[in-house]
Amino acid sequence: MKKETVSIRTKETTARIRNTAVEAVRTKDIVKKAVRVYDEGKLGIGGSIGDVEESVLEKQAKDNLEAGIEYPYPLETGTDHRDYNANPMDAQTMLKHTERILKTLRDEFPEFTFSESVTIRETTTTMRNSEGLDLSYHDGRFELGFILKEKKSANLFDGFVAFEGRKFDPERFWAFNRKYLAAYNNPVDFPKGDKLPVFTLGGPETKRFLMRALNGENYATNSSLFSGKIGERLFHEKLTLEQNRNPKETHQAFFDNEGVRNENDRVALIENGVLKKPFTDKETAERYNLPHTGGASGAYDGVPSLRTAPLRFKTDSEDIKKTLKGEPAILVVVSSGGDFTAEGTYAAPVQLAFLFDGENILGKLDEFTMRSSLFAMYGEDYIGTFKSDELYLGDDVQLQGFYMDIKR
Amino acid sequence: MFEFPKNLYTDVRIEEAHTTKIAYKNKTIQEEKIRRNKGAFVRVFDGERWYYSSTTDVDRLQEKIDELASMANPKEGLEDHPIVKAFETNQDKILQYEETDVSKVPAHKKRELMEEYLSLLDVEGIAHHKSFYVDNRIVKSFYSSKGAAVTFDKQTCGIRMDMDVVFGKKKDQVGVSRGAVHFEELAGLQEYFQTEIDKNLDYVKNAEPVEAGTYPVLLSPTATGVFTHESFGHKSESDFMVGDETMAKEWKLGKRIGQKHLNIVDDGNVRGNGYVPYDDEGTKGKKTRIITDGELTGRLHSTLTAALMEEGLTGNARAVDFEYEPIVRMSTTYIEKGDTPLDEMIANVRNGVFIDTIKHGSGMSTFTLAPARAYKIEDGNITTPINVSVVTGNVFETLALVDNLSEEFDLLSFVGGGCGKMEQFPLPVGFGGPYTLVRELKVE
Repeated sequence: MKKETVSIRTKETTARIRNTAVEAVRTKDIVKKAVRVYDEGKLGIGGSIGDVEESVLEKQAKDNLEAGIEYPYPLETGTDHRDYNANPMDAQTMLKHTERILKTLRDEFPEFTFSESVTIRETTTTMRNSEGLDLSYHDGRFELGFILKEKKSANLFDGFVAFEGRKFDPERFWAFNRKYLAAYNNPVDFPKGDKLPVFTLGGPETKRFLMRALNGENYATNSSLFSGKIGERLFHEKLTLEQNRNPKETHQAFFDNEGVRNENDRVALIENGVLKKPFTDKETAERYNLPHTGGASGAYDGVPSLRTAPLRFKTDSEDIKKTLKGEPAILVVVSSGGDFTAEGTYAAPVQLAFLFDGENILGKLDEFTMRSSLFAMYGEDYIGTFKSDELYLGDDVQLQGFYMDIKR
Repeated sequence: MFEFPKNLYTDVRIEEAHTTKIAYKNKTIQEEKIRRNKGAFVRVFDGERWYYSSTTDVDRLQEKIDELASMANPKEGLEDHPIVKAFETNQDKILQYEETDVSKVPAHKKRELMEEYLSLLDVEGIAHHKSFYVDNRIVKSFYSSKGAAVTFDKQTCGIRMDMDVVFGKKKDQVGVSRGAVHFEELAGLQEYFQTEIDKNLDYVKNAEPVEAGTYPVLLSPTATGVFTHESFGHKSESDFMVGDETMAKEWKLGKRIGQKHLNIVDDGNVRGNGYVPYDDEGTKGKKTRIITDGELTGRLHSTLTAALMEEGLTGNARAVDFEYEPIVRMSTTYIEKGDTPLDEMIANVRNGVFIDTIKHGSGMSTFTLAPARAYKIEDGNITTPINVSVVTGNVFETLALVDNLSEEFDLLSFVGGGCGKMEQFPLPVGFGGPYTLVRELKVE
């Protein structure tokens, strides 16, 4: 009988904010552990929240073998220990930053209130097995997420101030956010035209739709929009979309839920606009004779399965301002509730957007609706994926631009 | 039980959760996860600031209490602080699911139930499917330094089947689910599931792109539930209003915001996902009339918001689990039924849209509904299925545009997913209502 253990330890301190003041301080120290046992092609799992004895979980796992869950695949081997933030920010420093930021917001921006949280989170994830696998990933993040509300507004909230990263630079934070909040107070007219360059921070609905289309099982059973199209050009020739487990860019473990690692932590699924492969776990790759990408997901105590994958576009363009050549653009900050239809038509309301020259946020636009389709957005109407240093929103922030139909 | 520190307010919430998930890919079992987890959340308040800690080490809660107390500044007379004064001090024990405890149903019975329904998916057009059975029974205990001592249980169970449907170039992912409180309620649902599967297949096979525009929209009870939750429910959560003069004016009690037939209720006593006999601050669950005859008559509160706004407690302080503090959340929120037969409502629509099922919704200044199944209404009949990305409306205007409510009425519980509010997701909530006719919404 082979054995595998998974553990995730999360330590965090959060300052809860209400009306631009600290209301509460919350601490957490949570361990989640699982034991997997493999016997005669079957898999059993035991798991618990809390520091439960491994022997207890192993017994649970052995009992779980009776469910008859098939897992006839070889286990991973190898050692890889990585620490992406050996000296994360401590709680006292986080609270000092928080109090200073809140004071500045109260003093300089009394027309707004800010609520929600500032958190430091330290995570250690390990996966080990009896065949010699020994993986560990440690990271630490500073996360600031404020909802912004205009005092004169009757909305629940009107926008966000946010940052997520390993290190926090208050000077850069204020250099960006002072401009951002000033632009918020400067209403401007829309540029002329019905089809305009729109830049987004990567909408969740787009990733969700692409994830469904690139799921290996959907691909193989002809239920993906991309089925049968490996080798075909789907999108703009400069667009590359990867399954990316590089923690520097994606802030998550460098191995999948089966302990699989990729060369350079990346696999190109769409390269230069051409579909290369869908993402797969071991079962999907074998069942449908597809390349195995290490795309297994699932809960710490769940059976590895093919549901989500860490998709990230490769940065393919530089200098938004130069690319725009003076054409005014729209920067979408909040777009909530939009979606794609099954065939790829896209529509989304935009609750907060700014006039943007590619470098500076110039003023606030009224709400509008944007429309396009998946193939237009990433095809003829694709402008590019850019790394954004000007928008100090976190590590490795990307902005993606498309021409979109705008309905005011 | 605990030694609560002097001159501080302290409460402790202990949660013991039993959960089951049995998942299938096509007809093969993929996962059988049975878990029993225990954790606790401790709060200390010194009159100025709260101190929270969540832990799985429930044998050392006294240490957690003392640790938080050491960070706080005790104050004499704290018992007269308006927030501390407002806390209820209920002492109660309601363990009503011990006899029908879903955790005591053997796993093989749950598998057999699922396998019976999976045979319904052996039909042309379903390329593959993933399905699961889930249940959970939670026993919560709450103790406070004011003397509250409450223990209660709640449970839900449900089945969800997600299918990838392909008819030539027409492809979509659709689902069907049913939630319940007792395991036995999930038996004998072949006809319900068969009907929903047939509707899904017909929808994918025949759906046409919608012509974008503004239409009268008829919402099913499911869609009405999500519409109510997103368009108005979140605005009734009073943590958004505390210390905010504009919001307080905009949402002043007595203000007319709908037509006379509009009544919206939040009720923590309804069994199911939104069942909250006591909230996570030990406040007894209540029925709150948020809108009565079109006028704003109530809002949802935690103890903190009720005290600060000088209104009564409503029992709506809820946390997604023991890792989080309670914040103001809905329980079961619904529009009360009207008196028009559904057939009559449909017959009066010349050119509209019927939203049958929903993928998701959201609610800021513009609320959104992303339909899973939607249809044209033409000359008084529901006709062609249509692909719709999103339906939107303005939260400040749309409730006044609710023109008609059916006498048919249904309350539902989602299986999988739930309500998200900032970091706390997914919280189980109940929702539903009658069929609702909204005069105009944007359909894209």
